Amino acid sequence: MPCYSEQVKATIQADNRRENGLWFELTTDQKALLGPLKDFLKTEVAPGAIERDKTGVFPHEIVRQLGAMGVLGMQVPEQYGGAALDTVTMALITEEIAAVDGSLCLTVASHNSLCTGHILVAGNAEQKAKFLPDLASGTKLGAWGLTEPGSGSDAAALKSKAVDKGDHFVLSGSKAFITQGTVAGTYVLLARSDQAAAGRSSADGISAFVVSADPKIIPGKPESKLGLHSSDTAALNFENLAVPSENLLGKRGRAFSDVMTVLSGGRIGIGAMGIGLGRSALEIAAKYALEREQFGEPIANKQAISFKIAEMATELEAARLLVLKAATLKDAGKDYTLAASQAKLKGSVEGVKACDYAIQILGGYGYVQDYEVERMWRDARLTRIGEGTDEVQHLIIAREYLKQFRH
Amino acid sequence: MKIICIIKQVPDAEARIRSTAAGIDLEGVTFVIDGMDEYGVEQALRIRESGVEAEIIAVALGPKRYEEAIRTALAMGADRAIHLETEEAFDPITQAKLLAKVVGEEAADLLLVGGKEADWDSAALGAATAEALGWPHSDWTTELELTANSAKVTHDADEGSEVLTLPLPAVITTQQGLNEPRYPTLPNIMKAKRKELKKLSLDDVGGAVSKIVILKQEIQTRERLNKIIEGDPMEAAQQLVKLLQQDKVI
Ligand SMILES: Cc1cc2nc3c(=O)[nH]c(=O)nc-3n(C[C@H](O)[C@H](O)[C@H](O)COP(=O)(O)OP(=O)(O)OC[C@H]3O[C@@H](n4cnc5c(N)ncnc54)[C@H](O)[C@@H]3O)c2cc1C
Repeated sequence: MPCYSEQVKATIQADNRRENGLWFELTTDQKALLGPLKDFLKTEVAPGAIERDKTGVFPHEIVRQLGAMGVLGMQVPEQYGGAALDTVTMALITEEIAAVDGSLCLTVASHNSLCTGHILVAGNAEQKAKFLPDLASGTKLGAWGLTEPGSGSDAAALKSKAVDKGDHFVLSGSKAFITQGTVAGTYVLLARSDQAAAGRSSADGISAFVVSADPKIIPGKPESKLGLHSSDTAALNFENLAVPSENLLGKRGRAFSDVMTVLSGGRIGIGAMGIGLGRSALEIAAKYALEREQFGEPIANKQAISFKIAEMATELEAARLLVLKAATLKDAGKDYTLAASQAKLKGSVEGVKACDYAIQILGGYGYVQDYEVERMWRDARLTRIGEGTDEVQHLIIAREYLKQFRH
Repeated sequence: MKIICIIKQVPDAEARIRSTAAGIDLEGVTFVIDGMDEYGVEQALRIRESGVEAEIIAVALGPKRYEEAIRTALAMGADRAIHLETEEAFDPITQAKLLAKVVGEEAADLLLVGGKEADWDSAALGAATAEALGWPHSDWTTELELTANSAKVTHDADEGSEVLTLPLPAVITTQQGLNEPRYPTLPNIMKAKRKELKKLSLDDVGGAVSKIVILKQEIQTRERLNKIIEGDPMEAAQQLVKLLQQDKVI
């Protein structure tokens, strides 16, 4: 008879090997999926990353190839041409893309989690059949419009209006900082269709609409940003945009809870993005520290440098475990709101910190573009702002954590 | 027609491989399908996509971990696979005999084999399999065109190339330039799991004893000289040329 601890060990090992189980070891599926993808990223994406950061040109060809490979429909069911991947695998893929090109990672993450994610969360069968195949193949890119010039963290304060005209709604308003704003073929737009019902919060009365690109959706000039230069970010303006009633996504006036679900899912990806950028910066810094000699020896021999590397490696690993935990909860159909916010907060903060440390370890070389870590820092910095700032994550984490002690 | 592609799995080109007293340590190494074999799979797919009705079968002789490389071939588009599974290492002549049994039994029309193995650097398997089957063989093939019952190929020769025709069935070994292999898509990688993977044991093909026994393996270590030539660029360049000639690099 095996003793108790041996039984436990055997169970844990079996769990480890279970497909989509614990994530200390990659499953055979994950290995099979990541192998060719990493190969593609290394050969086709990495070489142009510095150049794209300089020119800010949107990489249509790479995005087309990613679409052909199924990376733009990661969680879309097979019947709509998607890869039907679990969230853990999607997080692993997101980290890999971020490790070579932050801009491309935001393109992929926002397309999958926000626009496509919202249709997956709230779309009916007809809407899914109509919009998902083009999004999954990348024939059309997705944009998701929540933020407005006057409403960011307080998203429910949005001013865009949707007026019911019987068989269609008329949308008017403007959106700010919309990823894929100028290149999208499919938009999900949030607008107020109704006044908040008495006794309900201001979030009540907001509706979501899925809309194909339309001359009446007018993007502003792409924003010039600190980083993520080849990710497309633009304001949107729309006046009297007629949207058929069948394009209403989810329940009329109740879109805000779908928005929260979409954002929770998205946050897992943004956490993974921070980690990918931080990991790449860490790897560059580690190699550099072993080669760069000052005072007659590699700077890695100096504790001030090696302890930074130890800290980066540890914090990034901790962040990764949080990301994978949130993803695992989501896949298991459990509540992952708290876990996703923790993962996003930790992944983005540690990602930015690792990039910052890497710049420090590389000294002057860290501050110039050829060594890439300054770009990674600029790219990573967004992860502490988009899909809920650090402060908003603190709000959510505090609310969720305190719940258990409230009477 | 039936096309068989022989698949090998090799360490990733960037993998760090250590050698220990016990031999080569492959712990933690990432393995991939041999790039030369990928040309073969890609070529088979292109033949089918050009309108030829073809069944494409990936065949591998190797340890259990080869399943990953087989899955890549299936994800690229092969229809089914046969895995002659063994943890033993065999010399190319013995491998060829074993593989020839599988190929013969399937009555294939075309056999595509990687031109050179990325790990052992051996180019013997294709030729040896052709010998074992008694089929014609084109090595270092950079172009392949099929007609009703023959193959027209361009293959590299020493400092040139030749154009040949071979009657089918034939063995074609690949060379860089034959094609640009596609990346398997995520959905196809997932669907590849559902394709047929037939397992055979050595006993199923009559067993084998390797003709060669490995006694010792060592990994070549590269040492950098860290020589920096300073001064006037023109003179430095001339000195560099001299040094490279001295070391017979050029
Ligand atoms: C590159 C980029 C891409 C983006 N892509 C998209 C997109 O695709 N779709 C989309 O809808 N939006 C997008 N956004 C918008 C993004 O989600 C918002 O910028 C973000 O939510 C913050 O909103 P804000 O910029 O209005 O800042 P504000 O909400 O004005 O916040 C300003 C500061 O105040 C803090 N703050 C606000 N409220 C509180 C509070 N209650 N307690 C404590 N501190 C608080 C914030 O944390 C922040 O530090 C994108 C933004 C960027 C920069």
